Amino acid sequence: MRLNAAKYFSPQAQARRQRQHLPAADSSDFPVRPDYVRQVQALTDTVTFVSRWFNAIACQATPAQVAALRQLPGVRAVAIREAIDLAPASRAEPGKPGEQDLTAADRQLARRQTASLGAAAFKSAGLTGRGLRIAIFDVGFLGVDRHPAFQHIIQNKQIVATHNFVREHTSVFASGRHGTEVLSCIAGVLPDGTNLGLAPQAEFLLARTERLYRELYVEEEAWLAAVEWADRNGADIINSSLGYTNRRYFPEQMNGRTSLVARAAELAARKGILVVNAAGNDGDDEEWHTVGTPADGDSVLAVGGLDPDTYLHIDFSSYGPAAGRLKPNVAAFGTVLAAAPGGGYVRTQGTSFSSPLVAGFAACAWQQNRKLSVMELFAKIQESANLYPYYDYAHGYGAPQARFFVNNAGKSGPETSTPSFDFVRQDSLLAVVIRPEAATEPVRTLPLYADSVVAVTPATSAGNVPAVGREEPVRTSAGDAPPTETLADPAPLPPTHPDYLYWHLANAKGMLRSYEVRDVTQRAVLRIALRRLQPGDVVRVHYRGYTQSYSLP
Amino acid sequence: MRMKSLLLMGGLGLWLGLGVRPAQAQRVLLRADVAEDTTRTRSGPNRAYFGHLYLGYAPVVGRASGPGAELRFGRSGELQVGVRNKFRLTQTLALGADLRYARLVYHLEQNDQKIVPTTTRYERERLTLSQLQGEAFVRLNAGRRGNAVGRYLDLLGWGGWVLGSAHYYQEPASAGAKKRKVTERGLGYMSRWPYGVGARLGSGRLAVVGRYRLSNTFVGEAKNRYPELPRWTVGLELGWF
Repeated sequence: MRLNAAKYFSPQAQARRQRQHLPAADSSDFPVRPDYVRQVQALTDTVTFVSRWFNAIACQATPAQVAALRQLPGVRAVAIREAIDLAPASRAEPGKPGEQDLTAADRQLARRQTASLGAAAFKSAGLTGRGLRIAIFDVGFLGVDRHPAFQHIIQNKQIVATHNFVREHTSVFASGRHGTEVLSCIAGVLPDGTNLGLAPQAEFLLARTERLYRELYVEEEAWLAAVEWADRNGADIINSSLGYTNRRYFPEQMNGRTSLVARAAELAARKGILVVNAAGNDGDDEEWHTVGTPADGDSVLAVGGLDPDTYLHIDFSSYGPAAGRLKPNVAAFGTVLAAAPGGGYVRTQGTSFSSPLVAGFAACAWQQNRKLSVMELFAKIQESANLYPYYDYAHGYGAPQARFFVNNAGKSGPETSTPSFDFVRQDSLLAVVIRPEAATEPVRTLPLYADSVVAVTPATSAGNVPAVGREEPVRTSAGDAPPTETLADPAPLPPTHPDYLYWHLANAKGMLRSYEVRDVTQRAVLRIALRRLQPGDVVRVHYRGYTQSYSLP
Repeated sequence: MRMKSLLLMGGLGLWLGLGVRPAQAQRVLLRADVAEDTTRTRSGPNRAYFGHLYLGYAPVVGRASGPGAELRFGRSGELQVGVRNKFRLTQTLALGADLRYARLVYHLEQNDQKIVPTTTRYERERLTLSQLQGEAFVRLNAGRRGNAVGRYLDLLGWGGWVLGSAHYYQEPASAGAKKRKVTERGLGYMSRWPYGVGARLGSGRLAVVGRYRLSNTFVGEAKNRYPELPRWTVGLELGWF
């Protein structure tokens, strides 16, 4: 087979390959042999999708046709998938326009969801995602073309292409509020100019790959079709706030090799696209607990959720690891303020919204250094996170920080943080003692003007958060209350990340046995019985930006 | 021994010198034991074993083998409550065994032809069988799925033991007399060991089930005197999981 890459790929797609020193095209970009496609078309009822990447054809067939397909030359295997059940042609969603009048608490949450990633640093460096192309795969982007939060995107023609892979047309603005909320966490803007995400000037490819009310394997085929489409159209980053779990797979199959979407995501990374995926909302589901797919992919940047109140893992965010690999890789706020169809804004929960916050972050980081390959960027985003090199299976490396890219220009270097604690080995114990100079509460200098209100995160049970891609807005009394009431709240939220002590116990291969986060109330903060440790084990502790390891010989 | 005491005292001194207090003083905000969290379960809808409760109701359908035993359809049926155990062999094949309580009620139509169990006509009349039943089934699953029950077809065989049988009738009120309600228990003319076959078509929690009784309703001399009651029940089951 031959492929004219210059003709097939958009200029942006070609440029992406050139920047990352990838070939203009490889064998996985070649089209499926037309005679093979014709043979399958002749034997079956309908060919639904032809995948270049997997050299595969998806079709509808009877058992007799399947038997005949197996006999065709060039057919290596026939994998049976669920029949395509046709969803209703159009299903109007209940009108939830969101709040038009934002409380001060809402505005503060909006500011903090990006500030927690260091938005100010990106802003001062002029990094807004300009020149980056982000593909978003979701259930639909209802009302994006009319919502004031996206006015700048529409006016500047930043939405370069749309495609509905469920219905096979180009309209994506007619149904599905989830994609609207996700897009706003990358590029939405409040009426007062506050950015809801970090990349308001990026370009977008919007793809509908999900049905509203069904979970079918065919959605994975739509995801694959979308990723090939995004590649061809020059996507640099894919945000996929979707995940497939127990209705299709077992937790032990979350290994990055089993599901079609995980394999497709891995291929996307090989073609120079950063795939950012929500870790999942099953952290409090005892039967699942772990990340979904494609977040399980080794080269997929899985994003977990943080509680804006505590800056700790939010209950519903799925835990790692996945087949022994660190997941989630990083974390961002799991409760956000997002644009809602109808022109308003809503508080909403889910790792679906952590993911686009990090996708926007990645766009700015890549804008800062376009020479980075996708896996270099992947590694540096992890390195920029506030806990790095400490990690655990709830937070990954923590929340990425813009200052890493702005101040260090993304350069790795030796750990320069001031030591904040010491390991003290005693008879049968290993103690961690905080140094006196790190045991002081930092003095906070008041700005001339500050928010005089507190944000109150929803009291809604985190356990009610639906699966990734199916989150619903949160209705809270705090959100509905007038600003004056919130003034009286006696427990203001921390404006910055509190100084917790994180520690984990890892084996020689880096696999965690256990991990913990402690509130620090005394200098002698931790003691571990040495009998708990096995040869080769590593105790790693993180406190105030400083990480130190203790290895047992 | 003395050296050990000195070491202990020294250790204690260092301990106090460092100001170390019991770890309970620290507030643990998050704790995870990875091995515990990632233990593979063997139980679940599509795991090696799955057990759950279920509730079912199946109306009696069809006609008696002859005149004299017409039923009130819609009211005659079998209510079941039981526990289902499924053992997966492959993704498409599983074996299962149920244990349940079943209450089968035949509401008898009161007409001129009636002969079961007597020719006397009452205001209301029914035969009730309370049973303990066991059922074995082979499950054929369709389609690929994760840890979900999915869509399936069960081929089943069942048998039971009648815990108790009752003939209830209510005589109409007559002048000066109240209604009389009579229940006769331990009906010797009814079989105590019913059995049969059936099939179940299900998806997730919900299933449609049809059962055919192979055994006769009546035993002994009654078997010849009475027509056989309808053998089919067709109804719905709802899994509780």
